[in-house]
Amino acid sequence: MIWLGLWERRALALIVLIVAIVPVGAASIGPLYAEASRTTIVRDVLRAAPTDGRGWRYTTPVAMESGLREFTAGADFLSAPIRGFEAQSQVARQDTIVSLMWQDGQCEHVTLLEGRCPTAPFEVMVGEGFAGRFGEEVILSSFAAHDKKTNQFVARPLKVVGVYRANSPADPFWFNRSLFAALATEGRLERAEPFFITPETRSEGYLLGSGQWTDYALVFADPERITGGDLDTIAVMQARVERVGRVSSAAVFTRMGDTLRTMTRQAGALAVPTYVVVGQLVALAWLLLFQTVADLVRARSPEIALARLRGHSLPRVWRFALAEPLLLLALAYPLGVLTGRAVAQAVVRHVPAEWPPAALGAGAGALAGGLLAAAVAAWRTARRPVTEEWRRTPRRAGRGWVLDAVVLALAGMGLVELLGAGVITDASGQRTGALAVPGLIALALALLARRALPGLARLGYGRTRRRGGLGAFLALRQVARGPVTAGSMIVLATAFGLATFAVAAWTATLGNYAETARFHLGAPAVIEVGRVTPEQLAAAVAKADPSGRQAAPVIRVPGSPQMVAADPARLAEVASWDPRHAGGIALREAAARMKAQRAPRAMLGGEQVRMTVAHGRIPPKATVRFFLTIRVPGRVGPVSLPIARLEKGVTRHTWRLPAGCHKEACELRGLRGEMVLPVAGEDEFDPVVLPVAVNRLEVLSGGRWQEVDAGLTDPARWAPVDDSDPVQADEYGLELRLVENSGSGVRLVTYPDPLPAITTGQVGAKALPGLDLLAGVGVEAAVPSAAAPGLSDTGAVVDLDLADRAAFGIAPQARFEVWVREGRAAPIAGALAAAGLEVIATQRVGDLERRYAGEGPGLALLLMLVSALAAAALALGRTVLALYTAARRRRYELAALAAAGARLGALRGSLLMEQLVVVCAGMATGLVAGLLAARVALARIPQFAEAPPTPPLPFDLAPGPLALLLGTGVVVSLLATMAVSEVLLRGIQVDRLREAQA
Amino acid sequence: MSVVRCDGVVQIYKAQDVEVVALRDVDLVVEAGETVALLGPSGAGKTTLLWLLAGLLRPSAGRVVVNGADLGALDQRKLDRVRAANLGVVLQNPARNLIPYLSAAQNVAFAQRGVRRDRRRVRDLLRRVGLEPLGGSPAGRLSGGEQQRLAVAVALANRPRLLLADEPTSQLDGDSGRAVVELIRSSAAEEGTTAVVVTHDQAVGEGLGRTVTIRDGRVGAEGRRGEDFVVVGREGAIQVPPEYHHLLPPGSMARIEAIEDGVVLRRAER
Repeated sequence: MIWLGLWERRALALIVLIVAIVPVGAASIGPLYAEASRTTIVRDVLRAAPTDGRGWRYTTPVAMESGLREFTAGADFLSAPIRGFEAQSQVARQDTIVSLMWQDGQCEHVTLLEGRCPTAPFEVMVGEGFAGRFGEEVILSSFAAHDKKTNQFVARPLKVVGVYRANSPADPFWFNRSLFAALATEGRLERAEPFFITPETRSEGYLLGSGQWTDYALVFADPERITGGDLDTIAVMQARVERVGRVSSAAVFTRMGDTLRTMTRQAGALAVPTYVVVGQLVALAWLLLFQTVADLVRARSPEIALARLRGHSLPRVWRFALAEPLLLLALAYPLGVLTGRAVAQAVVRHVPAEWPPAALGAGAGALAGGLLAAAVAAWRTARRPVTEEWRRTPRRAGRGWVLDAVVLALAGMGLVELLGAGVITDASGQRTGALAVPGLIALALALLARRALPGLARLGYGRTRRRGGLGAFLALRQVARGPVTAGSMIVLATAFGLATFAVAAWTATLGNYAETARFHLGAPAVIEVGRVTPEQLAAAVAKADPSGRQAAPVIRVPGSPQMVAADPARLAEVASWDPRHAGGIALREAAARMKAQRAPRAMLGGEQVRMTVAHGRIPPKATVRFFLTIRVPGRVGPVSLPIARLEKGVTRHTWRLPAGCHKEACELRGLRGEMVLPVAGEDEFDPVVLPVAVNRLEVLSGGRWQEVDAGLTDPARWAPVDDSDPVQADEYGLELRLVENSGSGVRLVTYPDPLPAITTGQVGAKALPGLDLLAGVGVEAAVPSAAAPGLSDTGAVVDLDLADRAAFGIAPQARFEVWVREGRAAPIAGALAAAGLEVIATQRVGDLERRYAGEGPGLALLLMLVSALAAAALALGRTVLALYTAARRRRYELAALAAAGARLGALRGSLLMEQLVVVCAGMATGLVAGLLAARVALARIPQFAEAPPTPPLPFDLAPGPLALLLGTGVVVSLLATMAVSEVLLRGIQVDRLREAQA
Repeated sequence: MSVVRCDGVVQIYKAQDVEVVALRDVDLVVEAGETVALLGPSGAGKTTLLWLLAGLLRPSAGRVVVNGADLGALDQRKLDRVRAANLGVVLQNPARNLIPYLSAAQNVAFAQRGVRRDRRRVRDLLRRVGLEPLGGSPAGRLSGGEQQRLAVAVALANRPRLLLADEPTSQLDGDSGRAVVELIRSSAAEEGTTAVVVTHDQAVGEGLGRTVTIRDGRVGAEGRRGEDFVVVGREGAIQVPPEYHHLLPPGSMARIEAIEDGVVLRRAER
């Protein structure tokens, strides 16, 4: 019987089913979407993290297996551990320490330059620094083996069987360890690249003294397996990192803490907006469901009346009334949950395979709206006087203000609360509560419009009664009486309000993403290249783009402030720029202001350096020393050479230059002298001063001394390093006045300090990080701008050449990039590779936009857009259906009018007009509500996981999509109302008049 | 023993601040097994009286007692029980009596849900109304006449003590109408069902045991065994039947003359 009834009312039943599926889907999609998005975020953040931010290096001298098992307990998202061990030792008779190590799979991650991988005990594979020892034996001072003959441990030479070069120090296999930084120093000892051995070497060898083998295991979180639910496990593991160090001799090295913080922050930025969005949509869907299920119950009211006429008991009548809606709701549940899953899968990646209990529970909770509606409608229908069913004209139901007033008050209180909490006034763009504003505004306006429309229709009704046509009269009378008007207005206005806001928010957000991506990336496309010197980078770019208009060499340095160093002329051709942010200054002009005059650099290329000085009498027992400050190629930071200890009668002082200066020239950056007296002078107001003139500087190269142009006679080329007196220089050389027990230093002026720059934010007196991250140079805001290419926060764009002159090398954190024009990335990347640069990756503005859209707020807004549009379509459909149902009940009246001679055209016009008035009024109210909400809340809703301080976001509303939404709504409603009107007109038969009751 | 007893029943409808008196001081007694035709012009209050007898309306004043139960004093549960066990109702529009997507047999069975199911009776009733071959057909697809006969069968499904039928033959041809009347009569004779039938059809009235004519909300006349009587109301009022209006037009004055067993009305000249 239930099935027969459903078939009888199949159109309405289908609508109820669809309408019921939506809230279930919308509710279940929330947890699914949140979970999937969390997984997306976790995986994306993990992939973007540095190697040591993607896993842990668990080290222990003892009990490796049990410790590792305990550390990784519960983490099923880890890849198989990479095991290894290592020990430190000094190379005998050398000031070099080396790691003697084995790591499972080591041979696959190095390139053999000579020989082979070690396979037997006491065989070793060495780095290029020890290439000269290939085929020989190396003795380590701490490594020995047991001599059975003497029963003693004796030094055991290691046979060098291979020479390797690491494929890439950035290879995750090496866990971001500085294993291959051959020039790194530890105290006075140089550290060599590791010696790779076999496990047998460890088992058959012995470490002398305090030497100790350390076992380690590298465990990485697998981005293909990790899910959003694993965040808690990572947090637990991070807690274990702290505990392990306290309770055992093990230690864990990782930067996973930073990764976890980023993951948690982004996931947190997703969860709340998602639930706010879903909450609003579920509430709207509840409203729809409530009305539609009530329609279904009302459609059965003749049968329910019959059941009561036949004396069925109230519980039986209730059961009878509820059977069909309950069956539909029961069917809607699995379908809704499946639909929610399908939509989630279509919108976001990584939807979990299993069903989160929260998704199932939310779906069931959403159905409660339908159950409530069915119960209330069934109760009303079952309690209504049976005779009401057969009345030709139903009694007018009183429309109280109480419920409206309560809902309006709640909406108003909600808005006031949001205003009071600063959500509406806050401009940070990170207040999730702002997402509730559109729903509240739409609901409030919908309630008001629902009251206003019948009143307005009554005004028009009176006018058409006097002199209007029959069609308009009937339509306005029906709207004024409004059995459907009120509910339809609320649903339509709320749904279209949310849809309008969602479209506005999404388009504005896309615009903001585009603007932000444009500036943060710096240019339409950015090619990341391997590390070279700034000169090599510039040369490769010049070779790849001889026109100078398509590519620019850039080195990007993190820090606060951030720093971007670029070739100004090329930058002006390719970088993103908006003169409105910089007081109308064009990029070409801004780039020109970054330039400055530059003096020649003093290069020291050779084996030794010699300094000739002249000085007066050295105070008794005074120690007077001179140091050269130089920049060594391939090394970060200044190197100080103690070139001279002044003695009476000695004017020439020579010092060996570091090895790095042999092949490539080092650069002289400064001079420093100091005079130390064992006993201070008697008069502190008249300290002992020793003037020293440096009158010649030479380097020994190819067996010949060559003078270096260091500008020793030109005071303009030198500057004091502190605020001391100006530098004195004349034909006798550069004079330094050494004061007792203090130093005096000068630097060679090859760049301006501060550096002229395009700046964003309040850079003030902050030092720039510099290419070396040593923060050794200031910045001058030559062009202050609200946004500058490549900067995502306070920072400066400087001339690459000047930045290089100011730096002592390039920090490992610096990124080498080539910025290119739109559409030129591929050919330039090819040309750069041909010029000898390693092309690592190419990033386009679109890539960055997609990344923003993939962050929590972006995903939440996308969910809002999809769901709000679906809800609007559903609301429109539901409204047309409700109007159809209401008009169908008036078939008797229409038949009577037809019998009385009313023209079909007038009846058609009345049906069309009635539907269009309601639908258009609902949509117009929604549009106004959506635009008002956009004006109030758009700039407040979260769009980024972290709101970017720069560039200023445009928040441009795109009229096109809004017009498309409205146009589609109007066209669809027009077509639907026309179709419905025709169907209704065909149902008007004069014969029906016979069916009417007396 | 009376199955229906109406004592001074008044029914007032309220619609938009206007009160309409549908029935005024109606007294009516129907004995068990009696078949009564309620006659009268449209708007006289016949259907209202029927709804009152079915417990669908509660009287504004007076008492409606059905099978010993004062319907106005019953709560909903007891009223449902009375309807399920003692009442059968045929509504005026035959389609309104039926659930269109259920078969004829299911419609009859639906009316038994409040009491014990009796499939044999379902078949028997369908046979008696001539619809046995159509027992499996959806009610919505039956013709108007078939639906009307089915509606009577549905009303009799629970062996009611009181059958209330509103124009049960309005869409039937002569033979079918007579069959329905015969069904009502046979139910009264065989099962003791008391029937109150609203009709405009004189033939139906003649086929039933007694007629009661309602005019202007009052019981104006009764007919028994082919003879019509006016009914003296509570205040001594009588309604002159329309066929005598040419002798005593409404608004005219009459002289009452007492005779041995009553009074005589004679037109008085003004």
